[in-house]
Amino acid sequence: MRRIFATGLLAVVGVLAMESTASAQEIQLTGPLAGAPAVRELRWHRNKRFEIAPAISFTLLDEYQRTIFAGARLQYHLTDWLGLGAWGAYGVVHLNTALTDEIDKVNKDRWDSSRDNDALTAVDRNASLLSVGYDFPQQLGKIQWVVAPQVTAVPFRGKLALFEKAFVDTDLYFFAGPAFIGVVEREDYSVADFGNPNKTVLENGKPVKSYPTASRVAIAPTFGAGLSFFPGSWSGIGLEYRALPFSWNNSGFDSQGGPPDENGPDSIVDEKDRQFRFNQMITISFSVFLPTDIKVSP
Amino acid sequence: MAVFYNGSNNLGLSTARRNDAEGLTMKQARTGLLLGMALLLVSAIGVAQVKKATTAEEVADGDDVEFDADAPEEGEDDVETDEGGGAVGFEEGLGDICKVDPDACPKISMDEASKQDLNPQIYAVQQIYALRRERFELQPYWSFTMNDQFVSHPAPGVALNYYITNVMAIGANFNWYQGLNTDSEFNAATRRAVRVGVPLNEYQWSAALNFTYVPMYGKFAGFGDFIFHWDGYVVGGVGAISTRPIVVFDPRYRNFSFEPKIAFNAGIGARIFFNRWFAAIIELRDYAYLEELENTANYDAMFSSDDARTAWRQDEANWTDEKKLTNNVQAQVGISIFLPFSWEYRLPK
Repeated sequence: MRRIFATGLLAVVGVLAMESTASAQEIQLTGPLAGAPAVRELRWHRNKRFEIAPAISFTLLDEYQRTIFAGARLQYHLTDWLGLGAWGAYGVVHLNTALTDEIDKVNKDRWDSSRDNDALTAVDRNASLLSVGYDFPQQLGKIQWVVAPQVTAVPFRGKLALFEKAFVDTDLYFFAGPAFIGVVEREDYSVADFGNPNKTVLENGKPVKSYPTASRVAIAPTFGAGLSFFPGSWSGIGLEYRALPFSWNNSGFDSQGGPPDENGPDSIVDEKDRQFRFNQMITISFSVFLPTDIKVSP
Repeated sequence: MAVFYNGSNNLGLSTARRNDAEGLTMKQARTGLLLGMALLLVSAIGVAQVKKATTAEEVADGDDVEFDADAPEEGEDDVETDEGGGAVGFEEGLGDICKVDPDACPKISMDEASKQDLNPQIYAVQQIYALRRERFELQPYWSFTMNDQFVSHPAPGVALNYYITNVMAIGANFNWYQGLNTDSEFNAATRRAVRVGVPLNEYQWSAALNFTYVPMYGKFAGFGDFIFHWDGYVVGGVGAISTRPIVVFDPRYRNFSFEPKIAFNAGIGARIFFNRWFAAIIELRDYAYLEELENTANYDAMFSSDDARTAWRQDEANWTDEKKLTNNVQAQVGISIFLPFSWEYRLPK
């Protein structure tokens, strides 16, 4: 169904594009207008200006924990349509999802002393012990910080009329670059570590501590698009979507590395348990452009 | 303040030439936009680009002036054409006068004339590119789930709106989900790893009556070369969504049927016009309704007698438990076709 729809849409688009292509070749404009720019006296909000944009970002579609980042975007715009800079952010708030709360509740009930003699509970305890420790939220993977050098292109520039009263300069931009991501996730742990006095989380056969975590730096591509609204000559309000796809173990579970085809648990929590996630976030920012004086195109 | 100025009367250009410019700008806009959508056609479209279709006019202090020869003209002067149907320009017209009476031949420097200040009347808002008033809008689209990490609910959909005014419309939309719901592998992985199940639901269809309001519109210059128009709208309404739980906890006995529930929806969207009746749309819509969830009670721990446990499991009243307010947030991407295709402006620009 999806293929049929996509094929149909592309066919319509293709036909229209080819039609316009053929017609456009016939046009040759001459006279005093030849060579004139499409827009005169365009306000250059970006051209040869620094941009400092404090920003707040909210992750999307998280399975176990949502993160709110506080950060900033620093850029220098070589032209009105091309900028170089970086975005950096630190995860200041981590909010558990309902699933995390449910897992934590069920797990703590499971290890309650009142259920020590229940045979089915014993099965659940054995099956889940390596994947979830005493305090589940503590073992969750976290994106702690991100630094992302990036190139920004601004191909579309225009204006927006609100309620036919207010007008604001607007542009649509795209960005891409590498991202350096500070990730906290469960450190390597195997069944054998339950017997290691320095690493065990058990006491009298029951989990009493959270599994230890470790930090690492992941490198991943980042890209996205955004809208900037310019209420004044030196300021802007931004709304941006960013993708940050990379593999990590955001749950801390032992879910990969074993049979069949390494898609089952292998009794070791390690890098094989990292799974590809298309991490996404929405960012709201307020930009200050320096110098504050704005230039205008010819 | 923005000034979108379409005027060209003061430049002495023939209508035929203006029409060339109009056609060129529109075709460039369409070409540029479709460039992004149909990558396979990149090379062909690139060759077809013809630059610099513009008219010149007055610039108001501190304002951008966009040269858009795209809007239709009204009350144009008579058109002078040659036998071949081509336009006769200003200089050719002067040449004719000079041939008839050399003494009356005016001495006009086009370079100097073009530098003179002009004082045309400039409207804050020129004629809107694509009027919606008293037109139908047909929107076929594809929707993607934005907030359900457990089960995705992609769906084809269609909306039909009628614009009562240029900014307000009533309409209806319909989504079909059955057969396309996808249970994420992540659910099975979680159940296997921590022995915790999550109640899951799938959708069959949804339909709603909607009200649309278009508070914003604007236009963009793409790559400084072509201009396209777009608008932003908010939409909301009420309807129904047919859903059922996916059996997770007791597949031996439970079997659910689809049941419609009342659903309210609200969303925001944008339309990018390729021409005056064809546009691409992207929309974010939240359908909120009370979902009926599968009962997660641990029946093994509830009964000591097998007969009592079996009787409880067979009783349909025990298959579902709580009702929970659920938000199904969808991104809807599609096209928009306005009918009728053309119209006449009521007022001069």
